[in-house]
Amino acid sequence: MYEAVTAVPDGESTVRRFAATAARQGYDGLVVRNAPSADPAFDAAAVADEFGVDAVDARVLVGDDPTDVSGRVKSARDACTLLLVRGGSPELNRFAAEEERADVLSKPMAGRGDVNHVVVRAAADHGVRIEFDLAAVLRESGGPRVQALRDLRKLRELVEQYDAPYVVTGTPRSHLELRAPRDLRAVGEAVGFDGDQIEAGLAEWGALAARNRHRRDPDFVAPGIERGPHEDDP
Amino acid sequence: MKHLPKHLRPRWRYLFVGIEAWPDADVDRRDFQRSVWFAAQNLLGDVASADADLRVMAYEFGDGEGEAVVRARREHVSEARAALACVSAVRDDPVGVHVRGVSGTVRAGEERYLGREGHDSVEEDVVFRNATRRAVGRDGLVDVDVGGGFVGATRSDLE
Repeated sequence: MYEAVTAVPDGESTVRRFAATAARQGYDGLVVRNAPSADPAFDAAAVADEFGVDAVDARVLVGDDPTDVSGRVKSARDACTLLLVRGGSPELNRFAAEEERADVLSKPMAGRGDVNHVVVRAAADHGVRIEFDLAAVLRESGGPRVQALRDLRKLRELVEQYDAPYVVTGTPRSHLELRAPRDLRAVGEAVGFDGDQIEAGLAEWGALAARNRHRRDPDFVAPGIERGPHEDDP
Repeated sequence: MKHLPKHLRPRWRYLFVGIEAWPDADVDRRDFQRSVWFAAQNLLGDVASADADLRVMAYEFGDGEGEAVVRARREHVSEARAALACVSAVRDDPVGVHVRGVSGTVRAGEERYLGREGHDSVEEDVVFRNATRRAVGRDGLVDVDVGGGFVGATRSDLE
């Protein structure tokens, strides 16, 4: 299982500190949302050697509106393993859900964000994972948490209806905010998710990373087509 | 009052919890218990939090790390886990909480899940992101004081 974290300088812990804590809590890997700024010389192998945790370089595209983001999709796509597009407005959500090159529609319900059947169906059609963000459940209380729970429920019902792919995260910004997979599962169950849904959502990060690494392999041509070893004609 | 005969006593499970915080955090047992109760009540509501009946049985904390044993009713371990995961801060100190394991008796769990930490912490000057800073290190983990807050790092992050 994987968790998607925000490391220094946007967060409060380094990638390695996250990895140390994640290894103890039983994670298989980490997705670093801000890989370019967190660690210019991002070295997944060194982290894996030291802590036994897979580190995946990702980046989040944040913008005010779709035109602002769409210009940056291609270069960002080529530069990292996982590409997240931050939602947060109906237009951005729609854009991200229809953008095949995006892996994850992040924080669709943040701010004035909202989703409807069109967005979720588009995400399902284009293979864009919708992110369930448990941050507010874990770290807020009262009104903001009630709103977050309401949003999560709406999102969950739509995702179940259209069988859309999804990921789950607690959006930790420091190693102190990281919660173990079993603890997140318990939280998920307490707020109406199925425990297996939470685990599937945490595992999906890893599946995405594996798929994209395979696609970025020089021998990869298209899904199902690969340059392989071949014998010379006699 | 005379205590209940054995077959009428509630069945308990004991959750062995690791606690982590920044080195300047001061988290005492009373504050932690209060935070656990608040978290349970806020997440689960009055009814379910009374059912889970969370109580901190043993507690130890110092230098930014600690351990606790939290008791819950046997049928409500999952709710207890969820409530503990929602303890994000004690007073104003952010804390990391991790359920290491659950056991039916304190003694069985103590051997398996407690006493792992307790490394001595050392205060030192380190070079982090091209600046010399004060830091508190313990067992390969380093909390760097960046002025107005800490950054969690490890030995290999330092220059």
